[in-house]
Amino acid sequence: MQYLVSVIDDTTGLATPDEMAAIDTFNEGLKAEGRWVFAGGLGAPSSATVIDNRGGEAMVTDGPFLESKEYLAGFWIIEAADLDVALKLAAEGSKACNRKVEVRPFL
Amino acid sequence: MVASLARRFGDLDIAEEAAAEAFAAAVERWPADGVPPSPGAWLTTTANRKAFDRIRRENKRDGKQKEARLLYDDDPPEPMDAIDDGRLRLIFTCCHPALAMETRVALTLRMVGGLTVPEIARAFLVQEAAMGQRITRAKAKIKAARIPYRVPSAQDLPARVSGVLAVLFLVFNEGYLATGPATDPVRHDLTAEAIRLTRLIRALMPDDGEVAGLLALMLLTEARRTARVSASGELVTLDQQDRGTWDAALIAEGHGLVRERLADRATPGRYQILAAINAVHTSARDIRDTDWSQIVALYDQLTRLDPSPVIALNRAIAVAELDGPEAALAAVDRLEDKLAGYHAYHATRADLLRRLGRSQRSRAAYDKAIELAGNTAETAYLTRRRDQLG
Repeated sequence: MQYLVSVIDDTTGLATPDEMAAIDTFNEGLKAEGRWVFAGGLGAPSSATVIDNRGGEAMVTDGPFLESKEYLAGFWIIEAADLDVALKLAAEGSKACNRKVEVRPFL
Repeated sequence: MVASLARRFGDLDIAEEAAAEAFAAAVERWPADGVPPSPGAWLTTTANRKAFDRIRRENKRDGKQKEARLLYDDDPPEPMDAIDDGRLRLIFTCCHPALAMETRVALTLRMVGGLTVPEIARAFLVQEAAMGQRITRAKAKIKAARIPYRVPSAQDLPARVSGVLAVLFLVFNEGYLATGPATDPVRHDLTAEAIRLTRLIRALMPDDGEVAGLLALMLLTEARRTARVSASGELVTLDQQDRGTWDAALIAEGHGLVRERLADRATPGRYQILAAINAVHTSARDIRDTDWSQIVALYDQLTRLDPSPVIALNRAIAVAELDGPEAALAAVDRLEDKLAGYHAYHATRADLLRRLGRSQRSRAAYDKAIELAGNTAETAYLTRRRDQLG
C-alpha cells in the first residue's frame, strides 16, 4: 500500500541546512527499511503554470491553480502496510522537515 | 458477529450488511420453521452465506480471488474469547485517531454497540441522512486509507486507549441520560455495553489507572440506575433516592477499584477522581452522612486537571451542601457566559433560587431548563418542581 505524504508550508522560506540534514537522515531510514518510493521538494507556487487542454486548444495560465495561504512544498511517497505505519512515518517526516504533513492513500 | 465477519471478509460494509440480512432472515423464518437447535451457529452460517452472495453480486475485480481464499478458510466457530478479541479490534478501529471524535462515537455505537442509524441520529440530535452519511464516509475512509483492524502494539496502547475511553464514556453517558422524546430515559443497553467494553479494555490493560477509574465510575453510576427514575418515569435526584435499592454488588466492585487506585499513589486522572467522588456518594447510607467537604476537595483536584465550566457547576452543587445555597448561587452565576445553553446550568440555578425562596426567578430558570433538557425523566422532574413553586 502506498501513501502520499504532502508537506504543507505557509512560509516562502526554503528548508534550513539543519532541516535538510534531518530530512536526509529520515530519507536514509526510509530507504534502509524499504519504505521509500519517491520524494522531492517543489519550487514556490509562483513558479507554477496551469495548462487546460480539455477544449482542444491548450490554455496556459501563469501561477498556481489555487491561491492559498498554505501550499504544497514537497512530498514523499511511502510504502506502508496500513495507516498506523504511515502515520508513524509521517510524524517522523513532519519532525524532520519541521512542517505540517498530510497523509493520503493511493487508490 | 459483525466483528468476526469483518475479520473474515476484511470489509466492514459487507460484514455489517451480512449480519443484518442474517437477522432479517431469522425474523422471517424462525416463527414459521421454529428456532434452530443452535441459533448462534445458524446466524453465523447464514451471515457467511449472505456475505459470499454479496461479494458475488458486486462482482468486484478481486472478488473471485477473495472468495476462493475464504472458501478454504475452514475456521471452526469462534470461541467466546475470540469474539471478545474481535470486538476489541473493532473498538480500536472505530476509535482511531484519524477519525473525528463525533465520528468515532457514532461508528462505535453502530459497529460495536449495534445501534441503528436512526437511533444514533436521535441520540446526537442530527438528521438521520447526515448521520448515515457520516458513518458511510467513515467506513469508506477506514477502507481507503487502510485503518488497521487490530489492537495496537503495547508501546502504542497507552496513547490509543485514552481515545477509546473517551468514546466509551460518551456511550455510557448517552445511555445514562438518553436524549429524545421517544426514548427511554435510561438506556440500559447502552450503559451495559459501555461497561462490558470497558471491562474488555481493563482485561487488556489491568494496570492502567484511568481504565480502572472509568470502570469504577461506570459501576458506581450504574448501581444507582433503578433508583434514579421513578415508576412514573420521573428523575429522582440523589437526595431523594431510595438507597436500599442501589446495587450492592456493583458498589462493592466499584469501591474495590477505587481503593486499588488509592493504594497505587500515582497522580489520578479525571476518571479516577470522578470515580472517587461517586465512591464518597455511594458510601453514605443517608444523604445526611455524605462527606461534602471531601467531595468539594475532589472537585478542586479535578478543576486543577480540567478547569471546565461543567466541572465548576458540579463543584458549586457540592458547595451548596457545604456552605449553603447563597455561596453556590454566586459561583453558578459566574458561569452564565459559558453555560447559558446547558440545561443543567439552569436546573441548578432554579433549585438554588427555590431554596433561597426567590420563587419568581426560580420559575424562570426552571422554564429555561425544561426548554433545553432532552431527557424525558428530567423534563418530568423539572416540570413538577416548577409547578410546586408557591
